[in-house]
Amino acid sequence: MTTPMVGVIEKVKTWARVNSPWVIHFNSGSCNGCDIEILATLTPRYDVERFGIKLQGSPRHADVLICTGPVTLQARDRLVRVYEQMPEPKFVVAVGSCGISSGVFQGCYNVVGNIGDVIPVNVYVPGCPPRPEAIIYGVVQLLKSLQN
Amino acid sequence: MMGAENKPEKFVVSIGPQHPALKEPGHFEFAVEGEIVTSATARLGFVHRGMEKGTESRTWVQNLYLMERVCGICSAVHAMAYAQGVEKLAKVEIPPRARAIRELVAELERVHSHLLWLGVAAHEGGFDTLFMLSWRDRETVMDLLETITGNRVNYSANVLGGVKIDIDDTKSAAILKGMDFLEQRTKHYMKVVTEDETFLGRTRNIGAMTLEQALRLGSVGPTGRASGVPYDVRVDAPYAAYQDFPVSIVTDTAGDLEARFVVRIKELYETYRVIRELVEHMPAGELTARIPRRIPEGEVISRVEAPRGELLYFLKSNGSDMPERIKVRTPSLCNWGSILATAVGHKLADMPMILAGIDPCFSCNDRMIVVNRGSDQSLWTWEDLRQYGIEYYK
Amino acid sequence: MDIEQKLQAGAEIVKEWTLSSSAPETHRLDMVIAPENLKKAVAAILDSQWGYLSAITGLDHPDYLTDDTGAKKVDPENGNLELLYHFSGGAAVLTLRVTLPYSEAVIDSICDIDLAAQLYEREAAELFGIEFRGSPSTEHLVLPDDWPDGVYPLRKAFTGLKKES
Repeated sequence: MTTPMVGVIEKVKTWARVNSPWVIHFNSGSCNGCDIEILATLTPRYDVERFGIKLQGSPRHADVLICTGPVTLQARDRLVRVYEQMPEPKFVVAVGSCGISSGVFQGCYNVVGNIGDVIPVNVYVPGCPPRPEAIIYGVVQLLKSLQN
Repeated sequence: MMGAENKPEKFVVSIGPQHPALKEPGHFEFAVEGEIVTSATARLGFVHRGMEKGTESRTWVQNLYLMERVCGICSAVHAMAYAQGVEKLAKVEIPPRARAIRELVAELERVHSHLLWLGVAAHEGGFDTLFMLSWRDRETVMDLLETITGNRVNYSANVLGGVKIDIDDTKSAAILKGMDFLEQRTKHYMKVVTEDETFLGRTRNIGAMTLEQALRLGSVGPTGRASGVPYDVRVDAPYAAYQDFPVSIVTDTAGDLEARFVVRIKELYETYRVIRELVEHMPAGELTARIPRRIPEGEVISRVEAPRGELLYFLKSNGSDMPERIKVRTPSLCNWGSILATAVGHKLADMPMILAGIDPCFSCNDRMIVVNRGSDQSLWTWEDLRQYGIEYYK
Repeated sequence: MDIEQKLQAGAEIVKEWTLSSSAPETHRLDMVIAPENLKKAVAAILDSQWGYLSAITGLDHPDYLTDDTGAKKVDPENGNLELLYHFSGGAAVLTLRVTLPYSEAVIDSICDIDLAAQLYEREAAELFGIEFRGSPSTEHLVLPDDWPDGVYPLRKAFTGLKKES
């Protein structure tokens, strides 16, 4: 295929993704605070599905990985494998202070600390935990950046 | 892949996080013969962060913020258990208003936790409407917690020596209104849980644990009380303001999954009642007592009733401004033991609900299952197992 | 039965194995037991239905060395480990305390008389370096599988894994 054709197809693919991204959620050892706020985005008050965002189970079909937690040593390899299983183009949203800087777990022996030290991160949503609105905002910011 | 072939060989069903193709540690392993579970063991560690060690290099005050985050679902009771322990070591009595506000926050947390659990457990059984409804209603208590404490999760209401938040007439009115709404909604859940045929098909007589088993295994919280275990730390060893604002213990005798639902819902009624009392008769006075920076030497045990059951903190001070040792035993750890024992003899299709029934911290949200059939290896996702359960009972 | 009576009843049950006892708080009684008697004492408490095993706390009591500057340093080779078996009986808490030297950190597992103890024992085993004789599983419970052998994070001598490059 010639480069311009590839470019068009890529744009169509991205547009489809942007309009209906499939999101997978991974907990790398968090206290669950962020995870319950992520889950809350699915429920009626926040209803993230109206943005076309679909939370589902398999990395093989996912466009976006939402990751929480300070990455425990146990979770690190698994996180990398999940990321590797995702097809290109793929994006990562790190939710919560733990994934940015270890949060309160700074220095604890079983923790890597920053999700960005393990896999590339596109968007960080700070907070302990961030509100559902903030999480949705973070994902929407990612989608907007893909549109450009 | 989902066929229930009744071969006599053993299946090992590992319930571990994420990737199916790799039999990783961090899972529950059920050996299954045909449809029946014959043994169970657990491998945790997915969320092990090394916090107990971490406490030894943080000051008593810093540790308050650390211990709040042992669990985001029951963060307030962790902070409370810890603060109480430190206050015992320091031999400091906190003022009555502080105790009442501690109890208020803890009970509001119980509401959010039980409603959260109701939704998640319903989801495990395929009852997604109940999940959506309960989580929508739960937003009422999330709003109240945010109004009172400033955050929806990880409230940081407790300080060493008392509390740092207060309630006024506006907040009290909002709380009372919220309790009225939630009580009415909870009556509806009780109906569903005790009358809906499909629901009962997944819960009645499933996962039963006798009183004897529950006592021997040290089953705590609503899980134990559903089997008739007559323990509730708020009643047996009142702390915070439970002496003045008591709750009644809620037990059942059936010990099955249905009983675990019923007990938690009945606990919600008790919680709404005591929250109203606290708000209507809040004692006046100070919010904190002074705590020294260096905590006197000693060892104390602080126990509170978390939504999941007895939470135990062992604190040891060496007289400095940093702890010598802090040990946390969460209620879920007690109840995993019950699961390992009672899963045996039950059907594979019941596993999702049984696990959900003890209200574990659902940190391993996306769980994968490996089914070993002799030399073949079938890969199931947690979603498959969940669907398997739903299909089985159709 | 009030707390005092409950505690006394508990003390009676383990009397024959008690080396010494203390009451650190009004609702607690601590009994020091020799390691070889621990299992018998646990069985007696559970059989009498006094209460249930609520938790097992591990404590590290390392020896200290003095270096050339006169500063105290933890001796990684010598010291004692203490296990506290906490039993909850309503408001009362009865704790059995056993001490094991680093050189002989072995004690009988109580898993065959208390199925739920497995998780507490495994946790203490890997974090403190204690062998529970007869334990049904020595798999890591909370530490990763690739955690280095012989490294016990809750011992005072442990200050963190070396950073991998």
